[in-house]
Amino acid sequence: MNTTEIVALTREARVKREPLRIRGAGTWLTGGQPVGANGSLSLADDQGIVDYVPGDLTLTARAGTRLSEIAAATHAHGQWLPLDPWGGDDGTLGATLATATAGPHAHATGLPRDVVLGVEFVTGTGQVVRAGGRVVKNVAGFDLTRLVVGSWGTLGVITEATVRLRALPEEARTIAVAVDSERSALNALARRLRALPFVPMAAELLSGRLASQLGLGGVCMLVVQVAGNARSVRAQLALLRDFGDARDVNADIWSRIRTVESASSAAWRWSRIASEFGNVWAAAEAAVAGIETALVHGSPMRGVARVVVPFADTIDVGRLARAASAFDGTIAIENLPRPAWRLVQHRPAADPLSRAIRAKFDPDAILNPGILGAQ
Amino acid sequence: MTAPDSTLIQRLASIVGERRVLSRQSELLAYSSDGLPGYTKIPNVAVFPGTRDEVVAVVKELATANVPFVPRGAGTGLSGGALAEGVVLLGLNRLRRIVSIDSANQLAVVEPGVVNTVLTREVTKYGLHYAPDPSSQTVCTIGGNVAENAGGPHCLKYGVTLNHVVALTAVLPDGTVTSFGNAAGENVGYDLVGAFVGSEGCFGVALDVTVKLQRNPQAVRTMLADFLSIDSAARAVSAIIARGILPAALEMMDAPTIRAVEASIYAAGYPVDAEAVLLIELDGFEGGLDDDVATVVELCRTAGARSVRVARDDAERVRLWQGRKKAFGAMGRISPHLVVQDAVVPRTKLPAVLEQIHAISSRYRVKVCNVFHAGDGNLHPNIGYDAEDPDESARVHAAMREIMQLCIAVGGSITGEHGVGMDKLAYMDELFTSDTLAAMCDLRDVFDPQRRANPGKVVPSHSCREWHAAPSARRAAANGAAVPAA
Repeated sequence: MNTTEIVALTREARVKREPLRIRGAGTWLTGGQPVGANGSLSLADDQGIVDYVPGDLTLTARAGTRLSEIAAATHAHGQWLPLDPWGGDDGTLGATLATATAGPHAHATGLPRDVVLGVEFVTGTGQVVRAGGRVVKNVAGFDLTRLVVGSWGTLGVITEATVRLRALPEEARTIAVAVDSERSALNALARRLRALPFVPMAAELLSGRLASQLGLGGVCMLVVQVAGNARSVRAQLALLRDFGDARDVNADIWSRIRTVESASSAAWRWSRIASEFGNVWAAAEAAVAGIETALVHGSPMRGVARVVVPFADTIDVGRLARAASAFDGTIAIENLPRPAWRLVQHRPAADPLSRAIRAKFDPDAILNPGILGAQ
Repeated sequence: MTAPDSTLIQRLASIVGERRVLSRQSELLAYSSDGLPGYTKIPNVAVFPGTRDEVVAVVKELATANVPFVPRGAGTGLSGGALAEGVVLLGLNRLRRIVSIDSANQLAVVEPGVVNTVLTREVTKYGLHYAPDPSSQTVCTIGGNVAENAGGPHCLKYGVTLNHVVALTAVLPDGTVTSFGNAAGENVGYDLVGAFVGSEGCFGVALDVTVKLQRNPQAVRTMLADFLSIDSAARAVSAIIARGILPAALEMMDAPTIRAVEASIYAAGYPVDAEAVLLIELDGFEGGLDDDVATVVELCRTAGARSVRVARDDAERVRLWQGRKKAFGAMGRISPHLVVQDAVVPRTKLPAVLEQIHAISSRYRVKVCNVFHAGDGNLHPNIGYDAEDPDESARVHAAMREIMQLCIAVGGSITGEHGVGMDKLAYMDELFTSDTLAAMCDLRDVFDPQRRANPGKVVPSHSCREWHAAPSARRAAANGAAVPAA
């Protein structure tokens, strides 16, 4: 499906008042709030790299292009796209941007909104908006690019995007260190990571169960990736020795962390100010204490912990919801079993300004109604 | 221009005090221009609240009176965004409080009138700094930086203003006070901070801004590479970026700029016979930094650099930077007026674009000096001229227009960090489709349905749907504050 066809489909849906569920590769169809739509709009066939100029470190691709395809194209030129959503590279560029899913490299390389330079999207009224551009710095006009990225399709269907690439580092190494997962110890760990004279390429804390599933032993582990020239990497690793007994880990750990969960898992993120990462982690762990299958991981640099629980009848979602509402911080819900959504309040786009924006871009609520609390 | 309304002046004076409301022509002249030369626009009233509560009260008063207004920081903007003709000018430079500093989380909450370098000075004791560094940073304000989404040389590595704002509180044009973003966790909903930053005063007035602070780098290395052709300098830029080395700054100056700098009191020891110099700064972790320096030196030599000088100490480093930071001042010596232009092109297009800019300047007999952020393709073709000379002014504007069209034609943008303001309005139709501009108008209407905040700027009014539904904007346009592109 191309942009013209998407415009036609959107206009028709609007006339008929038949809302659309927007989908990419379909790898994560349960994600987000249940959408009140019978029709669907799939971008899976709208794929392909439209433009790639390695010298500019920019790439333009249709929304249905899988991240794995972009990875293959860019690696051939010693480059990479710093988008590494949970779930792996089978998903599409469009879905990654629409959900603004940030992976383990986000602290070092930016959130999805920082990676996108421009987007083409189709609004709920069938207008084609071409926001931003293909250059790495641009302040022309009001920023519609960042607005539509992370709006989960509720402001427009992303059909194409231009993203910023990075050159692959000369060398990268990954180590794992066992750490004390007690609250104050983790607060101290977050402070120490931030105080390092370099920014690690990635630093992710794994719960004992997750570490065990990844073959790293059964205790809480900090996995850190450092990158740069050979001497820089050696010097960074030397400083990390202060964090404990480090062992080398194969670089594929970063894709394994992202693919260890099943697509039908409940996934929530808990966040608050980074210096209190230990409190975030403790709250997230307590919420799933006793759930055998629960995995917890998080970014001490960003103050975010993520809880993953495979869908199962035995999960007491009510308990999770109560724990979340008692948490003094920000909760972002990625996914829940369908009936569980009724038990939680997750309406981050329900404030007056966000509602007014939604009303401008999709006045008849054709696109993904229900997601983010947008009606 | 409409006559100032005496009841409005009285009401504003009752909020901020009589001394803080200016309405006499002689007093208002001081606020008749910003950093964009050749324009004089006189506001009918200028009001300078001193506290957050006063700002809110003033904005509410203006809303009640249905009066358009233009927010202004230090007035250093280069696109005419702070020009106010026949409307109220709302000066925010008295709100200079740094509200709080959280050194552990590298965050600060500041009022909009805090001067960019003052913030850095205040956080130096924690080993931190505020990264965005526009050339006007010793006088420009954070509020103005937020409005324009300001950049600077070090944005190549550290990002522009938007990348450093995590939350803010603003008063919307209708007087509603609202907060967006999240300083203490993830931002989960729509990116309202992203919408507000760079909205050029059209979406409201920031009351406080929560910004990220950057840790001071452990080590800094500054280099000057000189080239006998712009083309080889541009090739060096591409080679460095392609290698995966992200310099803190990667700046290019062409021959006219080098000569202007060297003839001024800001002489930095640049070789005056070079066609281009690159000022390259690497910073960060000490470990391995000198290996990156060696790589950069080698890449420059391979691209054709005649020499590469690495600053041996801080004094030499400061001197190398002085030439760059004061280049605009040095050009000011040559001509009474200076247009500091701003455009972005894909990095690979730099050599061809610079060559064509040279051809355009010869054709129109104007003096273009190029000094710019080569690392991200952000050009600053500057033209010194005499704005009093109508023939020269006409040639300068014609040359600028061609340069902008050239940048659009190669897939670039009309502004990388100065904003659209008034100066770039005419190019918006060439850069964006009408549906895209209409969507921008829609976004503006969410924040300011009456289109009273900085009327007529950023998006040409004719591209807005339901344009007849906005009487105040139409009135402002009739007064000349809005100049829709013909």
